[in-house]
Amino acid sequence: MKKIISSILPPKNWRGPVIIASAVITGLFLLILRISNAFSYLSDDPRACINCHVMTTEYASWQRSSHARVAACNDCHVPQSNPISKYAFKASDGLRHSFMFTFRLEPQVIQIKEAGANVVQLNCMRCHENQLHRTYLSKTIDLEERDAGIGRFCWDCHRETPHGRVKSLSAYPYARVPVLEPAVPEWLQDLSNPK
Amino acid sequence: MRRLQDIISEKPWVGWVLFLSTLVIVFLIGVFGASIVERRAETRFLFNASKPIKEFEPRNEVWGDAFPREWETYLHTIDTTFATKYGGNASIDMLERYPNLVILWAGYAFAKGYNQGRGHLHAIEDVRNSLRTGQPQPATCWTCKSPDVPRVMNKIGPAEFYKKTWADLGPEIKNPIGCADCHDPKTLNLTITRPALIEALERQGKNVKKISHQEMRSLVCAQCHVEYYFKGKEAKYLTFPWDDGITAEKIEAYYDSVEHVDFVHYLSKTPILKAQHPDWEIAQFGIHSERGVTCVDCHMPYKSEGGVKFTNHQIVSPVMYISSACQVCHRQDEQVLLKNIYDRQDKVRQLTGTAEEILVKAHIEAKTAWDNGAAEDEMKEVMTLIRHAQWRWDFVAASHGASFHAPIECARILATSIQKSEEARGLLAAILTKHGVKLPIKMPDLSTKAEAQSYLGFDIVKFTKEKAQFRKEKIPEWDKQAEEREKNYK
Repeated sequence: MKKIISSILPPKNWRGPVIIASAVITGLFLLILRISNAFSYLSDDPRACINCHVMTTEYASWQRSSHARVAACNDCHVPQSNPISKYAFKASDGLRHSFMFTFRLEPQVIQIKEAGANVVQLNCMRCHENQLHRTYLSKTIDLEERDAGIGRFCWDCHRETPHGRVKSLSAYPYARVPVLEPAVPEWLQDLSNPK
Repeated sequence: MRRLQDIISEKPWVGWVLFLSTLVIVFLIGVFGASIVERRAETRFLFNASKPIKEFEPRNEVWGDAFPREWETYLHTIDTTFATKYGGNASIDMLERYPNLVILWAGYAFAKGYNQGRGHLHAIEDVRNSLRTGQPQPATCWTCKSPDVPRVMNKIGPAEFYKKTWADLGPEIKNPIGCADCHDPKTLNLTITRPALIEALERQGKNVKKISHQEMRSLVCAQCHVEYYFKGKEAKYLTFPWDDGITAEKIEAYYDSVEHVDFVHYLSKTPILKAQHPDWEIAQFGIHSERGVTCVDCHMPYKSEGGVKFTNHQIVSPVMYISSACQVCHRQDEQVLLKNIYDRQDKVRQLTGTAEEILVKAHIEAKTAWDNGAAEDEMKEVMTLIRHAQWRWDFVAASHGASFHAPIECARILATSIQKSEEARGLLAAILTKHGVKLPIKMPDLSTKAEAQSYLGFDIVKFTKEKAQFRKEKIPEWDKQAEEREKNYK
């Protein structure tokens, strides 16, 4: 270990600038963690999903649905079988979302992908098991089977649940959803605008 | 492994490559950060009004420019063609429909004229035209009528506002109930603009700042659709009588304790309490409210138009759009749901009618007792019973939609009203017998509004003429002053 570190140490007369440069990189990295609310993604708080405003339609429609009382985003959209698959799914989904959002690739109407659909279907059944008891619907299916006509997803019939059927990026103008906390901490704001 | 130091001292260009690549990395991280900040900032523009609205902007059409969909639906409150069995947005002459009311309010302006309210857009016009206004009355009567009210209150303070006369503020109050009554112009969040509600909630120890959005969807309505009174002979300070609770009995006890009297009954000499419109209070006891359904959920249901979903601002009886108001939760046919509504209303109306008939008898019997020499002492208990019976009947009768909002609570209150009237009549029978009056007392013909008003000796033609005169003299002047003022708005 020591060997590796000493192998990349810069020449003596470079050390000062290198220390500053690496601190700048680390600082920038911390700043990005802060302005992107990075730690909120570890939680189950639905507000984490509207860190990016493209999800406002989904948030607003969920917030006004009956599911809002019992389930938040992650309860349906993230696997709940074990923590490892939960965070693995979050990481892969989250990386794609941040890539799409950063490069402005989001479509006007966001639609669920295969992996997401399968997870949601399992989560419907996780809570509504008793309602499905002993009906043919209780058989677990995935997107491939559903497209082959073997079975149906819950929302093939329950089309309004819970996001409604009107859901483009512009479907909820002036939706009243929680606003992002400012990245500048309160004490610093108070310092710069004394009351 | 060779040390980096050694490599660089041999080939200095490696150092420069490291320097430049670090530079590029820092630059890219910076650009990434800037992009996050930019996308955060977009939220502000995407979900806000297209142009800023000034604080206390009373003109609804200025808000309307920024919110065309809400504005368009709001304009529909001008409609007066939709009548349900008991309400809707058509103007119904309630005295014509229920002539007993003329007798119950004898001695009060309500006996002159009482029409079922029309949509919010008519608020100013209707209050100017009512036979109950135009006489000396405090400016407090304007409080619920216009977004000009918070504007004027901001200038002169609520206490000063209430102290003025209604005619003083005539030119100030121009715009009918609208946007600024419920919305914060900056955030568009729901907000309470009327001090009376904030004060009532604070007296109950509630933190007004911590009210949830869902609760606000009822409380913005509770700024006006509630029971209230004007506290103080001079101050006329608008006050909600909720300090002991919001049931009919609790409010009655509150009014008794402050010895509030709205008018002394012309026939029975009873110090009467006139219920205003305890819509919000009674609704709190209904099953919808208990399940967390708010006023807005049914009276302003969501609507979608061209892929955009928004709240319908045509505030009206939900019977108008059962599909979007009721069927969002209830799966039954419209016909079945309508029957469910009318069944409840019919049954409560039956009880309300019974309570009215008995109260009318009690008032007329009390008048006969006075006419035949009954003493103040003998009549004291009778008057208390009539006061309470009439208050409880009025609490239900004056509350818009109460018979649907909370039919069981209505039936409970009416049952106590009927019981109290009958108890009063029992005492009256003894008093009348004692004074040698033969029972039963003959009741006058009260089959129409005109009959009932002529029984009281009303000259309704005179009132109507006075009103026409008032309209001709005052209204054009008020409108002119208001127009002058609004020219100076930016």
